[in-house]
Amino acid sequence: MGTAFSVKGLHFRYPSSSGDVIKGISFDVLEGEIFGLLGPSGAGKSTMQKILVKLLEDYRGSIRYFGQDLKAMNHSFYEEIGVGFEVPVHFTKLTALENMQFFAGFYKSTANIQELMERVGLWEYRNMRVGEYSKGMKVRLNFVRAMLNNPQVLFLDEVTNGLDPKNARIIKDMIAEYRDIGGTVFLTTHLMNDVEQLCDRVAFCVEGELVEISTPRDLKLKYGKREVKVEYRDNGVLTSAVFPLDGIGFNEDFHNLLKTANIETIHSGETTMEEIFIIVTGVELHEQAGQID
Amino acid sequence: MNKLARLIKGEFNRLLKYKILPVSLVTAVIWIGLFLFISAEEAREIAPLVIFVDVAAMSILLLGASHHLEKQDGTIRTMMVMPVSMGQILTAKTIASMALALESAVVTAAALYIIHRVTFNYFLLLLFVVIAGAAHAAIGFILSLNSRDFTTMLGMLMLYMLVFVMPSIFLSLGIIDAKYEFLFMISPSHSASHLISSAVTGEYQFGMAVGGCIYLAVLAAVLLRFAVYPEFKDNAARG
Repeated sequence: MGTAFSVKGLHFRYPSSSGDVIKGISFDVLEGEIFGLLGPSGAGKSTMQKILVKLLEDYRGSIRYFGQDLKAMNHSFYEEIGVGFEVPVHFTKLTALENMQFFAGFYKSTANIQELMERVGLWEYRNMRVGEYSKGMKVRLNFVRAMLNNPQVLFLDEVTNGLDPKNARIIKDMIAEYRDIGGTVFLTTHLMNDVEQLCDRVAFCVEGELVEISTPRDLKLKYGKREVKVEYRDNGVLTSAVFPLDGIGFNEDFHNLLKTANIETIHSGETTMEEIFIIVTGVELHEQAGQID
Repeated sequence: MNKLARLIKGEFNRLLKYKILPVSLVTAVIWIGLFLFISAEEAREIAPLVIFVDVAAMSILLLGASHHLEKQDGTIRTMMVMPVSMGQILTAKTIASMALALESAVVTAAALYIIHRVTFNYFLLLLFVVIAGAAHAAIGFILSLNSRDFTTMLGMLMLYMLVFVMPSIFLSLGIIDAKYEFLFMISPSHSASHLISSAVTGEYQFGMAVGGCIYLAVLAAVLLRFAVYPEFKDNAARG
């Protein structure tokens, strides 16, 4: 597996800001993985994505894209990447199909617009003006727009935000399929469901620095409790007992409980990505909901 | 179709869909409705003003409207991540803006001929309109990029007109002596007005006409390259 992006000692400062908003970040995004960048509002996630898609270029440090210096790449770079912005990015007075045909016309390689729009359930609304679309429909169209050029690397910002569970599932399935055929995804999101279901590796960005980078599984092991919690009925009363995970196979009390009690639930003490987010960033997710970076 | 041609086609398509071209056309038609009620000589005197207003003010206004609509739609940002250069994007937008100015000049010239059989050097008029249109498109970009929304941009346009057009009006009213006109050529509006008047009335001051053309062409190039180009990308990145 090659490296899609290799970021080393990255610093960035907006002309209007007093200090760096990105402070010496280093990480790799591997080819064929879904890499999630998480963090509280203002942490620098969107700035990081803008730098990687060359919307912001006055950075210090090094970024290599499949071995090439990103700064040296011209606009043909955009033949190879797809960008799904968080906010809708379509001409509202044009129909969805007119929008897609306009954008597709600039790429050497284009996906089948009908197939993509059918998959996300928009083909039957292709002749409707985008201005008449609901928020969820615009989000789905954003995703189609990002996939238009059969990209090698896909940048997605809050890709399922505003979608109902069914449509969110469709988009997540498409992202996973894209990864399975070798595509690379750089995902920024505050939706921990998306992270759990999609990301191969995640990085947490806090105040312009990466404070944690690992796989969701390893993070859960690192931040979770090594214990098993059993809930059972004791004379009709719901009761629980907690056992250490280490040596559970030889734990007499645990085995006796399994044999004798009316067990209702058994849970390992692994934590959720949401809890990890709170531990690592020190910010509650509900604080984030209204002010996504 | 190459990418620039595709961008230009897209700009024209949007000028239609966003009703900018039809509005511009209706404005021109309203202006030329005046020609029905005045003599040929009066029409020849008023025509440069009609064309000038469309080149200097309406094109800035319509470019601003288009820019702020696109900014609201978020489409400028998505165009910046397409395999086209920013130079191509700006060129397409400038051409679309110049086309609005040309459309007004063509409609006005056609009306003058149809109503009053008035003819003049069409080639020079179109050349001057293209040059003046490019300079005013650059000015329109600067005003749009530095305004938060369309209303703010309108305020800035008013200020621009006050600073650059009022002195020309004082000159035409004789409040300022005509011998100082060459000083006013520094104003893009006055240069444009002078060139358009020259083409329609056929009264040329060779030095001023050539100087005006060169000045407006250089101004357009400098503004587009050094003021609009860097600001455009920054503006798109900020969203």
